[in-house]
Amino acid sequence: MDSIKQAFDLLFSLDKELFQILGVTLRMSFFSTSISCLVGLPLGTLIGTRQFRGKSFLKKLIHTCMGLPPVVAGLLVYMLFTHYGPFGRLNLLFTVTAMVIAQCVLIIPLVTGLTASFVESESRPIIETARGLGLSDARIILLCLSEGRASLLSVVLNAFGRSIAEVGAVSIVGGNIQWKTRVMTTAIMLETNKGKFSFALALGIVLLILAFIVNAAASWIVKERADG
Amino acid sequence: MVELRSVKKVYKDRTVLDVPQLRIQHGESVALTGANGSGKTTLLRILARLLRADSGTVTAPQDVLYLPQHPYAFRGTVLDNVLIGAKDRREQALALLETLELSALAAKPAQSLSGGELQKLALCRVLIRPCALLLLDEPTAALDTNGTRLVCDALARYKAQTDCTVVLSTHAPQFAAKAAERLIVLCDGRIESDGSI
Ligand SMILES: Nc1ncnc2c1ncn2[C@@H]1O[C@H](COP(=O)(O)OP(=O)(O)OP(=O)(O)O)[C@@H](O)[C@H]1O
Ligand SMILES: [Mg+2]
Repeated sequence: MDSIKQAFDLLFSLDKELFQILGVTLRMSFFSTSISCLVGLPLGTLIGTRQFRGKSFLKKLIHTCMGLPPVVAGLLVYMLFTHYGPFGRLNLLFTVTAMVIAQCVLIIPLVTGLTASFVESESRPIIETARGLGLSDARIILLCLSEGRASLLSVVLNAFGRSIAEVGAVSIVGGNIQWKTRVMTTAIMLETNKGKFSFALALGIVLLILAFIVNAAASWIVKERADG
Repeated sequence: MVELRSVKKVYKDRTVLDVPQLRIQHGESVALTGANGSGKTTLLRILARLLRADSGTVTAPQDVLYLPQHPYAFRGTVLDNVLIGAKDRREQALALLETLELSALAAKPAQSLSGGELQKLALCRVLIRPCALLLLDEPTAALDTNGTRLVCDALARYKAQTDCTVVLSTHAPQFAAKAAERLIVLCDGRIESDGSI
């Protein structure tokens, strides 16, 4: 109870650092989710609609990557961007950009895999009808995406949920630097380690509220467009 | 021209289509008939390149239109559906809807149509674009007598305009007789008889 009160106090105190952390969190999740969806939605649709050799192997690979532990993704990206790594010269380690890249490694397979499953199960009649009309492949992909937007919204929200809740990868490549790469989850971890449990919980509640608002907004947008 | 040579389709170890030789001349109208599961849809999907035969060769024009047995209604109105991929043919779309007596439904959401209405819409959606080979899978299965007559008329008009080849499947002998001049009877994936109506 105390934490809930503290959570609202925090929010309404307009604490500068809290809002900075919220801002970084949202920026990171926005870019991770958008990039992952820009890549994963078309890719998943392509895999779901096409028959090709090695398809079942590819699907197994994607499903394996869907379960990739975040720390492993973080480690991979860390090794790529560390000073002596192949992309060390870009100086991206401990930036939000690196956090977004690490999260994309995690989330692109998730979006691709979920989209492919959805497309395989639900879009057969759509594709059959659209191909029969001689529409282009690009057009068919767009049609599948727009017809299945309710299911696809849940894919997108899954991606967003994974991004905003993820801590392993972002703490490795982001470093939890105050005023720079600290996000809600790494802040919660820090407070927990300091033993400030109720403050950590308060941050957790703020995170939940944030996630709820984004979810509600997304379903509202989709519903509006579907009705209109 | 459409030509199949030793075409086979096998699922697991059941042969669902086995056509040693089939030729359809340019401009012909052919009706496929036969019991449920005899291979009509399979044959049409192979011609439409939606399904690959396991062996044999298939020659068919690139420019194919295919109406599935269970067409899908896209989001949007009936008119939107007809205009998919044919945005600039609004007038033709309205005329087609008129000939199939769908004008009153033009502004209705397509996903709320009845089975027969959807089937007529799906036909409009196909007939708005020209093609060299028109493939229709049971286009009148959900239609009443009047609807079937309208489809026959629309088809005749389309053929006169485009000079295309038509292959359709049906369980209705009268519709076959009206819409085609040649009848192929399939039985367990094989051509049982083939002749003019
Ligand atoms: N994907 C599939 N896997 C296994 N068997 C299939 C598959 N698709 C079709 N078949 C089988 O192939 C046979 C021919 O099917 P097809 O759909 O061509 O029949 P049809 O003549 O169109 O029947 P109907 O009049 O009921 O539409 C059927 O026995 C069907 O069970
Ligand atoms: Mg069939």
